[in-house]
Amino acid sequence: MSAIGELSTMTRRKGPMTKEEKKANGRDNKAAYIFLLPWLVGLVVITVGPMLMSLYLSFTDYNLLQPPEWVGLDNFVRMFGDARLHNSLRVTFTYVLVGVPLQLAVALLIALVLDKGLRGLPFYRSIFYLPSLLGGSVAVAILWKQIFGTTGLVNQVLAMIGIEGPGWISDPNTALGSIILLHVWTFGSPMIIFLAGLRQIPNMYYEAAKVDGATTIQQFWRITLPMLSPIIFFNLVLQIIGSFQSFTQAFIVSGGNGGPSDSTMFFTLYLYQKGFGQFDMGYASAMAWFLLVIIGVFTAINFIASKYWVFYDD
Amino acid sequence: MPVFPKGEAVAPAGASGRDTSEPKAKQPKRRLRASALIAATAAAVLALTACGGGAEQKSADGKVELRFSWWGGDKRAQLTQEAIAAFEAENPNIKIKAEYGDWSGYWDKLATQVAANDAPDIIQMDEKYITEYSTRGALLDLSKYDVDTSKLDEAALNAGKGEKGLTGIAAGINAATILANPAVFQAAGVALPDDKTWTWEDFERIAAEVTAKSPKGTYGAAAYGTDEASLGVWLRQNGKSLYTQDGKLGFEPSDIKGYWEFLKQMSENKAVPTASEIVEAEAAPLDQSGLATGKNGMAFWWSNQLPALEKAAGGELQILRFPSKTGKAEDAGLWYKASQFWSASSRTKHPEETAKFIDFLTNNVKAGEILLADRGVYPNSEVRDAIAPKLAKADVKVVDFIGAIKEELGEAPAAPPKGAGAIQEIIKRYTSEVMFNRLSAEEAGKKAVDEMKSAIS
Repeated sequence: MSAIGELSTMTRRKGPMTKEEKKANGRDNKAAYIFLLPWLVGLVVITVGPMLMSLYLSFTDYNLLQPPEWVGLDNFVRMFGDARLHNSLRVTFTYVLVGVPLQLAVALLIALVLDKGLRGLPFYRSIFYLPSLLGGSVAVAILWKQIFGTTGLVNQVLAMIGIEGPGWISDPNTALGSIILLHVWTFGSPMIIFLAGLRQIPNMYYEAAKVDGATTIQQFWRITLPMLSPIIFFNLVLQIIGSFQSFTQAFIVSGGNGGPSDSTMFFTLYLYQKGFGQFDMGYASAMAWFLLVIIGVFTAINFIASKYWVFYDD
Repeated sequence: MPVFPKGEAVAPAGASGRDTSEPKAKQPKRRLRASALIAATAAAVLALTACGGGAEQKSADGKVELRFSWWGGDKRAQLTQEAIAAFEAENPNIKIKAEYGDWSGYWDKLATQVAANDAPDIIQMDEKYITEYSTRGALLDLSKYDVDTSKLDEAALNAGKGEKGLTGIAAGINAATILANPAVFQAAGVALPDDKTWTWEDFERIAAEVTAKSPKGTYGAAAYGTDEASLGVWLRQNGKSLYTQDGKLGFEPSDIKGYWEFLKQMSENKAVPTASEIVEAEAAPLDQSGLATGKNGMAFWWSNQLPALEKAAGGELQILRFPSKTGKAEDAGLWYKASQFWSASSRTKHPEETAKFIDFLTNNVKAGEILLADRGVYPNSEVRDAIAPKLAKADVKVVDFIGAIKEELGEAPAAPPKGAGAIQEIIKRYTSEVMFNRLSAEEAGKKAVDEMKSAIS
């Protein structure tokens, strides 16, 4: 993006540094490191350390109570035969492949509406952003349970027009859909990013298009979408990575068991159950690294595909 | 639910002043590096010690501090805190720190704490997990310490014995029961059943009748199939058991098939709720359960839960024996279960003091007068007699019921083996599969048994 581009040109120096400058630079760096220290310590102690530990544990049989035992690739081999794991992959992929595009489409739509220079824009922006702040929280997941319960709000409204709705989150056919809806509802953060992106598109393109007689729809397809494609790409990458790791909603809505009938058993939820419920932390660690690989592959595909549809206006 | 709160990685306030850009530090380079190193080491050491907390529990004034964790609701928390206070008054050198929460989060937390070498000294244990923890050496053999077990009922004492010694002392005695809400029966104009002669057919018929004569959304009975107690009863009535003495599964797919077929039939006849409603009911806490809210005429609960449920329901409830196949109470196949155990961490720094506290909870009349029947009927017969006059009406009902079924009990069931903690979840899941018509009872039986076998192997 252009902002990053500007940053890189700012830091890129013309000519070589003098000795004095180098010295000052070094001093600055050290000061910077000291001020970064709390973060660095946190990174090493609570992120990198546990990650390395989990990599080690993924090659062991570890039941939390006794020391881990080296079993080589056993855990990874076991994953091939684990039907519940395969089901959890199916659930997670459905969630990501349906939820993310839907959420981005809604986010873009709302951003387009808000971009039209509405009166009281900051107010609406905040309102629409609110679900994003709340959406990942336990409270909203509980609320969701109430709204989509057998006697919840949705079914009460349906009853008024004579339809007897199912127990949306307690029926294995609709439970995952309800959680995807919860995900779509938290469209706020991609929306804010889209809004910022829309502001960056120079108005002259639209003016020129208007002069040429382009309709609003043509303007959207020919100007807005291509100009916005880097932003869409950015949102897509972030949301896919985030969605693969979704946990809270499924955990709360299903009461922690991924039910009914494993229909909301996300990969992360299964991992959690294996590790903490069934004392199989070695296997859970192996699953975590498998998830990392999946996310890595998806992100790589995303980046490769981006060459064909993302348009940079440098 | 982030495992590590993000806030921890944030720099402390004040480090982000505007001085950062000014090269204020005029000391020579080397000093700077040294101080950076020291700071880094200090921070790392601090962080490490924070992880290994609980290693040193003796405070400056020579007092011993013990940590005690249990699951349970508000009422239990209040009673237990009072018992702790009574113990501390007798033992001014020991301080007990309470850690309590809901059943659902309890086991995840305990597993993590034990893994992190940070287990509480005194642990409220369940029979489903005691073998899991004790065979892996996480629990203390209490027979090696000064805990008097001479007054305990034999069955209750044996329940806490395993290959690693006496790793748990029963905190109370329980039985699987059906609790009935007379108000629901009365509103429907249906008489309460005679639990000494009823059969499963009676159960279904009566429940369906209550449903038919009640407002929409009210059912004669809650569904079983969400825990192993009802399956245990079912299997025992059919001459099988959940587990065998040598720690294997005690039944075949065909045995569990009938259990689900009957449940499904009852749901179709509206004796019990629909599949969706069953799933929703599973998640409700005790005070919002169908029985407490008057949505169920009957439901499956442990006997010690009656007082709490009566409080939530705001009216009297009645304890019923399970129906049998033959209509004879002695064929109902009930048994005494240790409601909970007092266990101690094998890594406690103060085993004597820990044992002392467990002894207090088990044998001291003062503790009994405070705890009463909240964790089931007191297994210590002396304490049980001493506190009898103090019991509330609801508690008396529980104690009387436990006494009344004594002659009808079946053989004591085998202790749940290692891995039994996973069984309930498997039963629940396949109950859903059957109820939502995703699997036939027969297929579900096969799959469930396979899964259970691998869980406890």
